[in-house]
Amino acid sequence: MSLNAVSTRLPHWLIKKIYRNEASLETKEILKSLKLNTVCESARCPNMWECFSKRRATFMILGDICSRDCSFCSVKKGVPRDVDESESAGIAEAVGRMNLKHVVITSVTRDDLEDGGSSHFARTVSMLKKRYPEVLVEVLTPDFQGKVDCIKRVAESGPDIFNHNIETVKRLYEYVRPRADYYRSLDFLGFIKTNYSGIYTKSGLMVGLGETGRELESVFDDLRSAGCDILTVGQYLSPSKNNIPVAEYVHPDVFKDLENIAFAKGFLYVMSGPFVRSSYNADQVFDKIKNKDKTEV
Amino acid sequence: MVEIVVPDLGEDVEKAKISFWHYEEGDKIEKNSDIVELTTDKATFNVPAPETGIITELYFEEGDEVEVGEVIALIDDENEELELSEDEEEEDTNF
Repeated sequence: MSLNAVSTRLPHWLIKKIYRNEASLETKEILKSLKLNTVCESARCPNMWECFSKRRATFMILGDICSRDCSFCSVKKGVPRDVDESESAGIAEAVGRMNLKHVVITSVTRDDLEDGGSSHFARTVSMLKKRYPEVLVEVLTPDFQGKVDCIKRVAESGPDIFNHNIETVKRLYEYVRPRADYYRSLDFLGFIKTNYSGIYTKSGLMVGLGETGRELESVFDDLRSAGCDILTVGQYLSPSKNNIPVAEYVHPDVFKDLENIAFAKGFLYVMSGPFVRSSYNADQVFDKIKNKDKTEV
Repeated sequence: MVEIVVPDLGEDVEKAKISFWHYEEGDKIEKNSDIVELTTDKATFNVPAPETGIITELYFEEGDEVEVGEVIALIDDENEELELSEDEEEEDTNF
């Protein structure tokens, strides 16, 4: 064993098993044949093989080129192409072939479009709801630069869960999300909860970027004040040498502590762990909050 | 013979580093046991053996860079000794 190999190994809790089996290969084939983008592949998600093996994927619409240049993300950046409206039908087809009961749709950010891509989101959600009324639809959208009409358009297309990620603590926005705004994202979530009380709201955070525990608690408080129902917390992993480096590998015990703290602040459901991502096991989360709602009633 | 291939590890990821071999050549490995740990810029993965067998070849050293799609090890899943030893194990458990 070389010393070099030892020194570059990550902590044992950050080693992910590859689930390369018939189901995962079939999922890949379906996505490829329908020319669909997923954030699983584009963001080099370490959970990709696991999720594909369970016949799950998070669809990424509005192309595969992002108009922003967030320093934590590996999705391609540049000048996006025209919107391909056939993406919606492709996703609807994939949902049927993968027998999905819970669909998560996200996108690249499209600041170049007047509507931020909200019409395409709405078209896709409406199509899915019409073709599969029993299927739950979760959207994970960019901030649409805070444009209320865009947020309304997506909310009124009928998603069951509306996710918008706060991503990091307020102090680190300039460093991590220079073209986003902490309060704009909070207002975004608050607007949905105030105007569409039947939609669950959700947000996610990366840790290991240099934030403190106190700063994280402050974000939890702000999200609860905005009425956020569901929270995900996961370890930031730097996609390449061109992205910002990891400041800390957070121990699983700390993730558990964060989960307990967040639950105590009143979130309906919290998922916190090294490999937790925005849409990781999203279907299981919905089952749990539905049961919780029933219990509380 | 079963080839161990570097799997797809995400968009535009072309290479990975072999960070750890869990076994040595000549070792018996069970199906789904991790044979190798691969590290990319973003993450670290354990690759499981697709079949039970004897590891006959480890083509690279720890620390080496390998390409996605490249064969990095061979497992002999048709070894007669392996079948014999499995039969023996089964007999043992009958006592």
